[in-house]
Amino acid sequence: MAEMWISMGPQHPMTHGLWTLKVKVDGETIVDADPELGYLHRSVEKMGERRKYFMNTTLTDRLCYASSTTWTHCYTHTVEELMEVEVPVRAQYIRTIMLELQRLASHLMWAGAYMPDLGHITGALYFWRDRELFLNLLEIPSGSRLLYNYIRIGGVKRDLPDGFEEKTERIMKLFEQRLDEYADLFENSKIFRMRTDDVGKFTADQAKNFGITGPNLRGCGTKFDLRKHDTYEIYDEIDWDIATREAGPGYSDCFSRYMVRIDEMKESVRIIRDCFKKMPAGPTMASRIPVRAQGDAFRRTEDSRGEAMMYVVGDGSDRPYRWKIKSPMFTTISACPHYLKGYKLADIPAIMGSIDICIGETDK
Amino acid sequence: MNIDEFMQQVSSFKGVSNVSKIRNNTVKLDLSKEDSLAFFISLESDFEHCSLISAIDNQPDFELVYHFSCMNQSIVVDDSDCAVMLEAHVYLKRDSPSIDSISNIWFGANWHEREAFDLMGIYFIGHPDLRRVLLPEGFAGHPLRKDYVYEIHEEEW
Repeated sequence: MAEMWISMGPQHPMTHGLWTLKVKVDGETIVDADPELGYLHRSVEKMGERRKYFMNTTLTDRLCYASSTTWTHCYTHTVEELMEVEVPVRAQYIRTIMLELQRLASHLMWAGAYMPDLGHITGALYFWRDRELFLNLLEIPSGSRLLYNYIRIGGVKRDLPDGFEEKTERIMKLFEQRLDEYADLFENSKIFRMRTDDVGKFTADQAKNFGITGPNLRGCGTKFDLRKHDTYEIYDEIDWDIATREAGPGYSDCFSRYMVRIDEMKESVRIIRDCFKKMPAGPTMASRIPVRAQGDAFRRTEDSRGEAMMYVVGDGSDRPYRWKIKSPMFTTISACPHYLKGYKLADIPAIMGSIDICIGETDK
Repeated sequence: MNIDEFMQQVSSFKGVSNVSKIRNNTVKLDLSKEDSLAFFISLESDFEHCSLISAIDNQPDFELVYHFSCMNQSIVVDDSDCAVMLEAHVYLKRDSPSIDSISNIWFGANWHEREAFDLMGIYFIGHPDLRRVLLPEGFAGHPLRKDYVYEIHEEEW
């Protein structure tokens, strides 16, 4: 049969954001693919060069609407490294709690978006119902539901209010019961397994070479998490484990990538509990925050989607001379021809959904 | 291999200078443009992940900063789990902003190079598909260069 190109996107239910996936098919089998980006390019790096260091936290919030705190944290963490700012211990604990709440909200957002991809609309409503609870929690200290601007250079905007721990505990308890329910609904569902088992396979060695990081790499059984392996804030003092899954020896499929995120949510709950237990009293903002910076610094953090990294160069003025953002999804999408080849056209929503795409951070 | 042994090993490599250590797990070095490809090929077995390629317009010259990370613990920091990184700085002249592509070694570098070409106008020799990635085809200029002039386009009706 003759081969032909099919354009999926920029308006297509599979894309989760604005991007185009051109696929070359032979009958129904994918033989080649060509992803195209740029529909959402807002030139964040260039805008950042014209703003002062502390102003850029509003831009980083808008990098990814599903996971805005992790990006703001990555930026502030890099600038603190550049300016040699010491963050108070209590602020580090609060940051860790916020980051993990954000990870829960982000993974639930992903799971909710993944279910309609597989034709399961009810799943979306279930997961988004739970995400709402965590958005309520994130709203309490920060005052907003999506773009928090809560983590600032030198600490956090304000301390946690009274009763936050009890509210969090109540919601986390409810959430853990819900996760058991979902195990019956999805993991043990034959239809869900038929769409995800042995689909979209890649090995751990391929993933590292392709630049695939985060849950997608841990879904291949690789124990690599920057919270442990390039530790930041107080992750090294907290009691938690790296969640890994694998579909077979050293490779992942859509189902193992789904499961590793479910396991990660359980670990996040563990981290938050331990943080509340160990959190000391004290200030939440550094006493001395410089305005100007000289030199260069980079930091990488474990975003909900993989390795987030920023590289900031200062020339002694109060604005960054160069600010480079590394998005984990940028490279993951670039490798999609490799892990789409050989599957059917109808598998594309299942495969591209399972890697958790966010176009906001990808297009910058 | 310990990170200090690795630092000694790389400092003997041709084209490598100013080897230093930042934040206990990162080896920082300067690299000459001519020897860059041979050096990067020698890294492949230890650093299996190319994290980032950043292009900087230092006026007048360009600087490329490569970040590689070691995920398989073949290089370690004392006895900790800490993953080692390598930061390589390469300086390019403004009149010839080109360097050998590494996207045949690390596929993950492919789009980072395309982005550096798109926004900063660096040419990567041997790149399989050097097109613009974020900006539309036919866009004139490279907007992250410091001498890029913003033009206000007035639509003609």
